[in-house]
Amino acid sequence: MQEGTARAVDDVTFTLKRGETLGLAGESGCGKTTTALSIMKLLPPGGRILKGEIIHDGEDLAKKTDSEMKAVRWKKISIIFQGAMNALNPVLRVGDQVTEAIIEKENATKSEALQRARSLFELVGLDSSRVSYYPHEFSGGMRQRVMIAMALACNPSIVIADEPVTALDVVVQSKILELIKDLQRKLNLSVILITHDLSVIAETCDRVAIMYAGKIAELGNVTDIYKDSWHPYTEALITAFPSIAGEKKRFKSIPGDPPDLTSPPSGCRFHTRCPWQDDTCRNQVPEYRNVSPDHHVACHYSEKIRGKFRGAKP
Amino acid sequence: MTQEQAALQLEEERFWVYKRKLRDFWRLYRRSSLGKVGLVIVLSFVTVALAAPWIAPYDPFTFVGDPFLKPSSAHILGTDQVGRDIFSRVIYGTRISLLIGLVASTMTIALGSLIGLISGYLGGRVDNVLMRITDLFIILPTLPLMLIMASILGKGIQNIIIVITVISWTATARMVRSQTMSLKERPFTEASRAIGSTDLHTIARHIVPNVFPLVFANGMIAIVDAILAEAGLSFLGFGDPSQASWGMVLHFADIAGATVNGYWWYIVPPGICIMLLVMGFAFISYSTDQILNPRLRRR
Amino acid sequence: MRDYLIKRGASALVTLALAIILTFFLFRIMPGDPTRTVVGDFRVTPEVRQMLVHQFGLDQPIWVQFVLYIRNLFMGNLGVSFQYRGTPVTSIIFGRRLFNTFILMGSSIGVALIIGIIVGTVAAWKRESRFDISTVVFSLVTYSMPVFWLGMLIILVFGYYLGAIPIAGTMTVGMTYSNVFEYAADYLHHMTGPFVTLTLSFVGFYFLIMRDSILDVFTEDYMLTAKAKGLGDRKILFRHAMRNATLPMVSLLAVEVTYLFGGATMTETVFSWYGIGRLIYEAVVMADYPVLQGIFVVMAVAVITANFCADIVYAFLDPRIRY
Repeated sequence: MQEGTARAVDDVTFTLKRGETLGLAGESGCGKTTTALSIMKLLPPGGRILKGEIIHDGEDLAKKTDSEMKAVRWKKISIIFQGAMNALNPVLRVGDQVTEAIIEKENATKSEALQRARSLFELVGLDSSRVSYYPHEFSGGMRQRVMIAMALACNPSIVIADEPVTALDVVVQSKILELIKDLQRKLNLSVILITHDLSVIAETCDRVAIMYAGKIAELGNVTDIYKDSWHPYTEALITAFPSIAGEKKRFKSIPGDPPDLTSPPSGCRFHTRCPWQDDTCRNQVPEYRNVSPDHHVACHYSEKIRGKFRGAKP
Repeated sequence: MTQEQAALQLEEERFWVYKRKLRDFWRLYRRSSLGKVGLVIVLSFVTVALAAPWIAPYDPFTFVGDPFLKPSSAHILGTDQVGRDIFSRVIYGTRISLLIGLVASTMTIALGSLIGLISGYLGGRVDNVLMRITDLFIILPTLPLMLIMASILGKGIQNIIIVITVISWTATARMVRSQTMSLKERPFTEASRAIGSTDLHTIARHIVPNVFPLVFANGMIAIVDAILAEAGLSFLGFGDPSQASWGMVLHFADIAGATVNGYWWYIVPPGICIMLLVMGFAFISYSTDQILNPRLRRR
Repeated sequence: MRDYLIKRGASALVTLALAIILTFFLFRIMPGDPTRTVVGDFRVTPEVRQMLVHQFGLDQPIWVQFVLYIRNLFMGNLGVSFQYRGTPVTSIIFGRRLFNTFILMGSSIGVALIIGIIVGTVAAWKRESRFDISTVVFSLVTYSMPVFWLGMLIILVFGYYLGAIPIAGTMTVGMTYSNVFEYAADYLHHMTGPFVTLTLSFVGFYFLIMRDSILDVFTEDYMLTAKAKGLGDRKILFRHAMRNATLPMVSLLAVEVTYLFGGATMTETVFSWYGIGRLIYEAVVMADYPVLQGIFVVMAVAVITANFCADIVYAFLDPRIRY
């Protein structure tokens, strides 16, 4: 049992554009979920936002009280959790779980809400008669669709998807991802997709923020990041995934473990696992700088060492 | 190093791990104010029980004054209907109540754990039979059963202890059984059997240490139940009249019509003692449970 | 659903059978004359005794006795009481006494449950607040008090000092009533003492269990989903949390039925409430085995039936069980 304050998210900055999908990627415990929960002010009892702003629609959400946030939740921003079995209440019908938000927040009548729930079900590819079923009567993939339908109930402009497909098998995974992309286009949603699986990012996101130990290591377009990444951690992540098409080579795993966030490493948090670390890395926190249009990196030596992890020439 | 040295070193490591676990437990326990209060209360009563002959002003069994005296400097709590000093009786009552509480509960959890372990580990037929028996005991009303058994066995401390044990073991048995069954499924149990350990070895080495924390917490509740059960039995007249347990004192108070005559000094102190002692153990149980029960830590 | 109920029903019947068998043998291992289990002591009239010997086959081998016992059971014959000189046990149990116990226990368990559930829910919601801590401490205190002592205190304070409640019995001795309401008022007046005692002694337990259950539910993911939807606090608490948290309480309730039929022996004795609890005490003291045996059988039937009903209710409340 540990004690102390863990800075799960430390100095993270990003912007989400309308109609784009932004990915938040990184290992477990790097702060992606905490960032998402902070946006909606859903942190667990021990958690607090110490400093910073969350600007949405001209308002700073960080300053809002819990009751003020109620108006924002689900109407402006909604969230899809992973493992939908536990995220849905087992003793209530799924239809009721979808309509309750509509009824309460949009002052709709029960039948209006039910109507909308049915059409939402159709939208996500479920039979509309299933609104009267209970969560345990659905398969994993279908439950995730229910969660998606539920998340869209009040027409939010932003949807956060926290590991939406991690608990599903590969075939179902791609179907759900397709659905998310499809819906995003149709409804012009802005999506924040959280995952540790880079292939998911590659398939669905426009931009991605690679997080490590509570900070952003690199942020930029998905294509840029994959082809031309600037941070050694990003490179390491990408090379850790063997590619079927590429040449056969030993894949390098990243040595070491993610740091303890109650006492993170000094200087650059990645230095303990970085092959090129030196005194500067150990003592100075790298600046989060703009290295090319819409591309940020937090590393002292990215110009010099980029590509080295992959063996490419800078 | 030799085999022997290696074994010794292993033993020593295990000892240090255990010691560290105890230290961690104590560290956590100290932070719980409820737990500290409970411990203080229980230890105070234990002290009183041990020091009774020196603290009590009179002998609790002989009459030392006129009956029904009100509280005075000579008799802090007055005298009962045969002239015995109530204050001394209450002090000596600590001994009996603690004794019965501790012994009865120990036997209860011993019996309950044994049955629970056997039932949970062996499963199948044995489990079925044992569980049916347990169900029966749960269904039959406890107090009447206790009264009947007490009236058959007669008065006396050992009998009270037996009665309480026989009626109360079911709760522990059930709990230990479900724990054992879930532990049986865990990988380390399978591993232990895969390398050929006998069942007894597996149980002793792997299952018992993991069941022990919950049994301990449960044991505190068993103590609470035993103390209250003894008080109830004695109050109704089935206890040991030659001993001055708190329940017995209240029994005599009731017979003497203390309630209808307003002799609050006769009624209130013994009851408060029962209440405080029980609360002490309840607090300890609550705090221990908070620490040892992994489910609760998540909250 | 059907399979589940059939399985539980069969299990209930088996347990019932075992309980009846156990009761049969339990009372026959009592010291003394074996005919006591049906006839009590010898102080009933010879004619009655003869009739009973014949009915229960008391001079026959044990298995014949057992068969006759079962037959009599089905016919509603539980033997005759010793202390009440030949009165059939059934009329002793299923009369005034059961009524009194039902009313007393039913109301106090009911009220204690409602208070315990609601306050437990609120306390869990406002965890660590002054409200929570004070209610928890209050519950631990009342839980630690021996019931009979609590009763004595209430008599002392409200009966002796304040003279607000009567000290014993269900009705004032020797009074005549002009109408039902006067009668009911006097009855309820007498019931106040035991009612308050019992409610206080039950409420702590129910409160702690409910609070515990709700805190468990709070750790579930669907509670976070409910919060994420921005639903009102009350809706989250009562609609999402409470429904899930009351599930374990249902199983608990089935066990409490023992009290509904057996009464609270201690409380009824302290207040001289004319109910089954006090009957049990008297029967043990007077070694009136027929009555005790009869009570055991009745209680076994009641508890097992209640458990079965609880299973049904549980199936209703938790849709996962139905399939």
